Amino acid sequence: MPLNKSTGMPSASIPEVARATVLAGLQAADPALRRSAAQTLAGQPEAVPVILDALERESSLAVRTALLDSLAATPGDEAVQALAGCLRSEDAWLRNAAIDLLRGMPEQVAPVIAHMLIDPETDIRILAVGILDTLRHARVEDWLLQLIDAETDVNVCGAALEVLTTIGTSAAIGQVTTLMRRFADEPYITFAGRLLLNRLGRSA
Amino acid sequence: MKHILIVDDAATVRLYERAIFEDAGYTVREASNGLEAMETALAACAEGQQPFDLYVVDVNMPQMDGYSFLRALRQHDIPQAPAIMVSTEAQECDRRKAFEAGANLYIVKPARPVPLLRNVKLMLGETQ
Amino acid sequence: MNVSAEAPTSNISAEDFERFREYFYRRSGIHFESTKRYFVDKRLIDRIQAAGCADFREYFSLLRFETSGREWQRLVNEMTVNETYFMREHYQFDCMVQSMLPELVARKPRGEPMRIWIMPSSSGEEAYTVAMYLLERWPELARWDVEIVSSDIDTRILAQAEAGLYSPRAVHQLPAAWLQKYFTREGENWRINRSLREVVAFTRVNLNERAEVAAYRNYDLVFCRNLLIYFDDTSRRRAAEAFYDVLRPGGFICLGHSESMSRISSLFAIRKFAQAIVYQKPLEQA
Repeated sequence: MPLNKSTGMPSASIPEVARATVLAGLQAADPALRRSAAQTLAGQPEAVPVILDALERESSLAVRTALLDSLAATPGDEAVQALAGCLRSEDAWLRNAAIDLLRGMPEQVAPVIAHMLIDPETDIRILAVGILDTLRHARVEDWLLQLIDAETDVNVCGAALEVLTTIGTSAAIGQVTTLMRRFADEPYITFAGRLLLNRLGRSA
Repeated sequence: MKHILIVDDAATVRLYERAIFEDAGYTVREASNGLEAMETALAACAEGQQPFDLYVVDVNMPQMDGYSFLRALRQHDIPQAPAIMVSTEAQECDRRKAFEAGANLYIVKPARPVPLLRNVKLMLGETQ
Repeated sequence: MNVSAEAPTSNISAEDFERFREYFYRRSGIHFESTKRYFVDKRLIDRIQAAGCADFREYFSLLRFETSGREWQRLVNEMTVNETYFMREHYQFDCMVQSMLPELVARKPRGEPMRIWIMPSSSGEEAYTVAMYLLERWPELARWDVEIVSSDIDTRILAQAEAGLYSPRAVHQLPAAWLQKYFTREGENWRINRSLREVVAFTRVNLNERAEVAAYRNYDLVFCRNLLIYFDDTSRRRAAEAFYDVLRPGGFICLGHSESMSRISSLFAIRKFAQAIVYQKPLEQA
């Protein structure tokens, strides 16, 4: 997610004194102070471990939101990986908040999404498809069609069909039809597939 | 006519469940996440509106997930109704989380029409 | 952009309408009943042609991928009734004087001012309506210092708001007594009286500039109606975050009647009052 220079936080490294202040701020008793401290961490790749550490301990929703926002506003692989890592959390709020942010970061997400779409865990694959939902990237349909070809889990396929219903083109018709045959005994896949084909057929 | 609120961020799932429920004679409203569901549920308890008889709730949704929605719902001073939680997660610990949050029944996706309807009737106290 | 030899789209298929409806709802929170089919189709076709697209699919792609968000803004303008006038969505002001303010004063230390922020100000109708409501419908006004600030990014419209000259159309919903009391006739139009103009401070702010918004703190009540629908998801979330920091704990924020925090941020609690559903910054930050 590109950050306007005028709204961004300083991108130079945090000098020692300032670093100590921020760390202290993250531990303040007042959540408003912790939130402020979290906001100052945006845009600094070296702060990523600090953010992750704070996220693990933090219980205030407002502070957690600020920590994640700072992560999303930080350039570099480490930050994106950190956000992607949140998808493995037991915490439903954290998973979904991370997805929401990743959706707004198409350029950074592109290099990591392919990996996530073939993750051994079904739930991760489903969440990864969820990221594609409003992702502004030209390859979204390609990734989904690739996924459908090889995917064995019915819910992952269902999630893919959901996204294709919005962004799919006639290029998807063949593979969706094949998918429907493969899951002919799943009423939801039949329903979703038909809905999708209906839309594609008419607007082709 | 019994009134059901479908809570799921996937439009296709909402359409699917809507088709099944409307076919069986229920009226349906939709919400695409827990917060929206909370607003819809609260608005339904206003003068002249029909409160919901059943909630059918997904787990993973933006802004407010299914567990949080159920917890918030149980805390509000509004007519309470049973909730069926529908999710892809099939492990034991997730069922427990669902019940602790206030779900009355937990179904694993994808929900097939016949068992889904059977569970709905069960929750609504309608014997077959 | 395709250069198509065929005639541009002259009708929207049922499937395209569905797809568009879902997308528009997801992005703006505004849901079109099927009865609005004609209304939507007509405007959609207009936009497809105005944007130079060959068909719905091309237009849809443009909407989804356009980084400037300009077409989205134009589309929203077309699809919504965005006229501003006095007393617009006044059920929220009823809620203000009957429910929100009483709750706020119950917690407020004596001597601490009540601060209300209305943004965007547009040409000032909303801010002046708030002022009149306080004067006419809030008995407690005498006991509290109230600061009303109204802001906009557009300096021309701010100047218009300060000038306070309104058409008959803008004032048509006002109770006659209020019109007589707070306005002076100027030809066809109505000029707001100085007493009321002095009660509202108009300022320039760009909500997307964190540094500018940082100056706004400790507000009890924020009205932000029919602005966020024009934003993209990221800016919308940032705006909600900004409002969170603008408000005091326990402070309230009201969005437009078709808008909902539910698609924007999970930081606010939903409060249902008899007159309206509004959002509140939690008192105890859990």
